[in-house]
Amino acid sequence: MKATIGHKRPKLSKLARQEERQGYMFILPWLIGLFGITLFPMLFSLYASFTNYDVTSRMDFIGIDNYRRMFSDDPLFWTSLGNTLYYVVWMVPLTTIGSVLLALLLNEKILGMRFFRTIYYLPAVLSGVGVYFLWMQLLSPTSGLINTLLSWVGISGPAWLSDPVWTKPAIILMKMWAVGGGMLLYLASLQGVPSQLYEAAKLDGASVFRRFWHITLPMISPVIFFDVVTSFIGGFQVFQEGYVMTESGNGGPMNSLLFYNLHMWHKAFTVFDMGYAMGMAWVLFVIVLVLTLINMKLSRRWVYYEGDDQ
Amino acid sequence: MHRKYTRNILWIVPMVILLLMTACTPRSDSSEQRADGKVEIDFWTFWGSETRRPIIEKIISDFNASQDRIIVKHTYLPFGDIWTKNLAAVAAGNPADVIINDYANVNLRASKNQNTNLTPYLQKDNIEANFYPELWKNVLYNNEAYALPFNTDTRMLYYNKTAFKEAGLDPNHPPQTWAELEEYAQKLDKKSGDTYQQVGFYPLWGDFGIDSWLINGDNGQGYFDDNNQTTINTPGKVDTLKWLLSWQDRLGRQTVDAMKAEFGNGQSDAFISGKVAMYIQTGTYNTQLEEFGKDLDFGVAPIPERESGSGHWSSGGGFVVEIPRGAKHPAEAWEFMKYLTGVEAQKYWAIKNFDNVANMEAAQDPEANQNPVYKASVENLESTKLFPIPLSAPDYKNLINPHMDAVLLGKETPEQALAAAQQDIQNLMAQNTK
Repeated sequence: MKATIGHKRPKLSKLARQEERQGYMFILPWLIGLFGITLFPMLFSLYASFTNYDVTSRMDFIGIDNYRRMFSDDPLFWTSLGNTLYYVVWMVPLTTIGSVLLALLLNEKILGMRFFRTIYYLPAVLSGVGVYFLWMQLLSPTSGLINTLLSWVGISGPAWLSDPVWTKPAIILMKMWAVGGGMLLYLASLQGVPSQLYEAAKLDGASVFRRFWHITLPMISPVIFFDVVTSFIGGFQVFQEGYVMTESGNGGPMNSLLFYNLHMWHKAFTVFDMGYAMGMAWVLFVIVLVLTLINMKLSRRWVYYEGDDQ
Repeated sequence: MHRKYTRNILWIVPMVILLLMTACTPRSDSSEQRADGKVEIDFWTFWGSETRRPIIEKIISDFNASQDRIIVKHTYLPFGDIWTKNLAAVAAGNPADVIINDYANVNLRASKNQNTNLTPYLQKDNIEANFYPELWKNVLYNNEAYALPFNTDTRMLYYNKTAFKEAGLDPNHPPQTWAELEEYAQKLDKKSGDTYQQVGFYPLWGDFGIDSWLINGDNGQGYFDDNNQTTINTPGKVDTLKWLLSWQDRLGRQTVDAMKAEFGNGQSDAFISGKVAMYIQTGTYNTQLEEFGKDLDFGVAPIPERESGSGHWSSGGGFVVEIPRGAKHPAEAWEFMKYLTGVEAQKYWAIKNFDNVANMEAAQDPEANQNPVYKASVENLESTKLFPIPLSAPDYKNLINPHMDAVLLGKETPEQALAAAQQDIQNLMAQNTK
């Protein structure tokens, strides 16, 4: 291909031209999808973020006013960004470590392992609003299961969802419950680690911990990287928890569960400040993009790809 | 021949996609002329429950039978979707002809061209006098109506007469003032050790939030006055917050949080299960009592007033009926709206639902008023205030509520919280009116 760059495209035969046309025809649905349903709305929202667009009555260009308001006039912008960062900073490492540890445990060869794997994976199958309602009961201050368990070891648990100090930890705890999904990925990659590496290390007298540190971890690092990047991006999208688990989606006690997307949603659909909400979406996009690029850069230092340096 | 055939086949792919895309668009106008010459109009509601659906559909079929020009078609959409769908439909230019919408933000929707100005129709038939003035005030934008009030609600004090007798209180004399409320509540508390078997009253359980109490304790004045000036940081509101705090101090925040988390619906409802002896709820709470609390001997009373003469102020909300902007048949829609808010339909709605209706004559109809709770709720409407929402601060709640939470958590004093909330709202209004 390289050779053709800068040159005129060689003339195609009639058959090749026809095949090319047919090829485009076949991918047309996806092209329509990409341009019509992804790219066009994205560009539209980029433009609309510089207007006072409210869906039904106006769309006047107002320059960077939405962005200026966001950074200097809207205290809830910072509250919601802070809440979201808090959530991401705790949730990503905790769920990653949690699922690696769980996968290690479930990789042991003991009796009934399939049963345990099923049990631990099960919460990942459940999703949606039902889970949030379940957790609202589990987190109930006096009769909830969490505080009952805590009381057995002499701790009197907090009022999880009504004390602003504990609302975000409660949500993160809830996420920890569903680490089974990540666990499955790690389990698959753990089973792909060649056993001769461990055998060789054992002959050299390496301890369990050293074998984990020098063999297991590097071998599964591409999966860890994948998991970290995706849960990072997913973490910034947190919305439902704040919407469902607070009174009429108001963001909870002292706005402690007012996540970025919840605030954006309120701006867009309660007060129809759609231009502003679109601006918020782009700010979030840039934040996530930058952080993901940093992630990718850093990954070169710790992610090990067998055979190929990609 | 064969080649041509394959080429034709290939064009089918995009054709199918195009067809699918058109098929997926909601029917652009269902309201074309029908074969019988009648005009069909589309009516969106979120009333799909077993109780409400038959009631609204009976009203629709009565309307359809009452004249021979218009046929109303009912479209049910879930509560969570209906208004976002409406927004999209208005933007796309093919909305329903009539929709039930939230009482709040009629003015905001009007300012955003989402609903239709009803002035031309009202000039022909002025039905303004049919409605409660407080509800009518709410449908105005620049002094012109953009919706008709449909129903409303109001909050009252439900009290357990059996518990009153046990505590030596007169079951026919519910508390009238805040002082009496406190006195009764303490007599009604039942405690063994550290846990309460029965709490006499806690003002923030039930359906009367801080914002409602601030109306009640500040002579019926909410966060904004009629000119959309902030009336947040007032002495009346400071005192009300202090009073609310005193209740929390008495019971202890932990008890309040813990008990609140235990309350559920039906059998485990705070009042029905006997955990709370006095409880503030809407008029339609009565239907829950009928279903789950058959043995409960209870009475209803207006919300106690701050002091004798300050007024038993309560709060309310409700729904309005409006014509989305761009509807194809506004004149026919108006005919139907008039019927929907007319005496006959409203009376039927009231009798079947025990829901407060916006039409005064229908609300006071003797048949529905045979039910004592319903009757009390109709009387309560006289001292019920809606929450006005100024155009320049449509999302004021997100700024005020955290300060109110902070007061109850002991992180801000009532004075600090109200001053800060007022400042935040004034900033928001300044931004939005620039």
